[in-house]
Amino acid sequence: MDRESEIKQKTPINELLIIIATVIAGFALQFAIGPLDLSIISFPVNVVLLAFILSLLAAKPSGTVGRFGSAKVSVYLLAIIILMSLYMGIVAGNGVKTSWPFALTYLLILINLILVVGKRLRSFKMRDYGFYLNHVGLFIFLFSAGLGSADMDRYFMMVYEGQVEWRGQSSKAGELTELPVAVSLEDFSMDEYPSKIVIIDKSSGETFPPGKEASVIAIVGSSGEIDDWEIKIDSVVDKLKFAPAAFISATNKKNDAKLHGWISCGNYFQPFKVLDISETYCFAMTYPDPKRFVSRVEVFNKNGRKKRGEIEVNHPMTIGSWKIYQYSYDSNKGKDSDYSVFELVHDPWLVPVYIGIFMIMAGAVTLIWKGGRK
Amino acid sequence: MNWNEFIYFAIIALFLWYTGVFVMYKSKSKHLGDVLIISGLLVFSGFILALWNTLGHPPMKTMGETRLLYSFFLVLVGYITYRRWKYKWIIAYSIAVSTVFIIINLVNPEIHTTNLMPALQSIWFVPHVTVYILSYAMLGAATIAAIIVLYKGQEKRADYFELIDNLVYIGLGFLIAGMLMGAVWAKEAWGDYWTWDPKEVWAFITAASYMLYIHSPKAGISKKNALWILPLAFILLLITWLGVSYLPAAQGSVHTY
Repeated sequence: MDRESEIKQKTPINELLIIIATVIAGFALQFAIGPLDLSIISFPVNVVLLAFILSLLAAKPSGTVGRFGSAKVSVYLLAIIILMSLYMGIVAGNGVKTSWPFALTYLLILINLILVVGKRLRSFKMRDYGFYLNHVGLFIFLFSAGLGSADMDRYFMMVYEGQVEWRGQSSKAGELTELPVAVSLEDFSMDEYPSKIVIIDKSSGETFPPGKEASVIAIVGSSGEIDDWEIKIDSVVDKLKFAPAAFISATNKKNDAKLHGWISCGNYFQPFKVLDISETYCFAMTYPDPKRFVSRVEVFNKNGRKKRGEIEVNHPMTIGSWKIYQYSYDSNKGKDSDYSVFELVHDPWLVPVYIGIFMIMAGAVTLIWKGGRK
Repeated sequence: MNWNEFIYFAIIALFLWYTGVFVMYKSKSKHLGDVLIISGLLVFSGFILALWNTLGHPPMKTMGETRLLYSFFLVLVGYITYRRWKYKWIIAYSIAVSTVFIIINLVNPEIHTTNLMPALQSIWFVPHVTVYILSYAMLGAATIAAIIVLYKGQEKRADYFELIDNLVYIGLGFLIAGMLMGAVWAKEAWGDYWTWDPKEVWAFITAASYMLYIHSPKAGISKKNALWILPLAFILLLITWLGVSYLPAAQGSVHTY
């Protein structure tokens, strides 16, 4: 600790110069060769980089390299990455996350982290477990999520009901590729929330009164008020393939005017129907929002493994090292969609990412438990 | 056991909890408050277990069920944090927030005010939001304490430094936990745990600012100077929480709630 407090007094000029030089080099690269193409660090380059960074664990803390593992450097790097992230968070359409200055700062953070860990390991104490969980966990997470993401492949696959598909469109190249996973779509189904009855300004298409989101839910027997109108839903028709429709009665509280009739939001083969109030306003029905959409599938991989089940949002299916996500459907046809779109993700670094996440999570618990006590 | 009987359990638990907090603040008795809070937790968990038994699966499928667990775990976590740190307001605060969710469940166990889109229907929804709200509460309190010290001078409020550091450490712990739960959830919902979307960028900025604060003493920054980080970091936190949807970078993002 004595040596550390000596270092504390001085501004680490050399380390600061290294950081500034690296960021400037990043900008130079950015202007010279354009944004970082992640594929240049894909396997085995990232593993070589990992071996190099890990070798820094052996660096002497007081040496030229080891001094980069000081807390001051960590604070400078945090400040720089915060500034870059502020730019990323404010300016629309920025390319910060694939820019060279950002990537090189990220690399410096990894180096700083490993040097910090290396320094602490020299006087290893069990009671520092919180420090190790947080810093080693963060290193594993940042490395696998950052440099590992170069090895991540994602594809979009469109499958029609009753058919099998094994080709996917790569999110990087955009071309159709044969994948080691095939998906047979047995059925696509969707639950919807009930539509709502609203008043629409016909000239603008906006709901009325503006900004209030006043509506009445289109369920038999429900009722409510929009502006001066009391609205009652007398009956609702919602059959497969047909657009939902509702018979409503509306009474104006001010002048006692009465209106009633069928309205419908329409769908891909039925036109919509509104109930006119005046030349400017009408009652209309909103499109139903999806509540849940599910694909019942059977999935095969090249090793002959088979898996049957349902895939829906928040419930992907895992087969081997692939994860299959419910991505989309024919939004025009909604619940009558004949096909389902899946996103297939292959991420060989997922296990280390989760190890990192759970280490930091445990580290967070030690922060909560120990507080600011030293 | 079903939702119709929830009201009896809820009323008894809430009565025990509120009396418990009252006793903690007003009575000299050392254990009465704890006994009351724990009894309330037992009554509440009794309903959860009975409901679980009736349903045949753990009650975490519908939003109402997750809110039920939320109201329980919020008080449990609040109570454990109180036992650890002896800040009475933490247990009072978590009971107040829990009450809101109990009332929502009593008035309407199933239906949400807005149509919940499929990506939000996840068991991660409630814990992700809960720990963030806990974290915001701690970091908000730390900011107030920091402003008091900055305004009145550190000589008069030297005892506040320990409190501020504790609150920041606890708050940052919850903040990181919330962020990582969000990452695990995003992997399930969107296929990627981190995409630098605007909400994630701002969550990162906020967490990094508090990390800057807790590393500042080791970098030789004086305690007094480091305190200035806290109000700034809290402004960044507020942007993350409430302001992201208004920023130009967030137009078209799916993560602006």
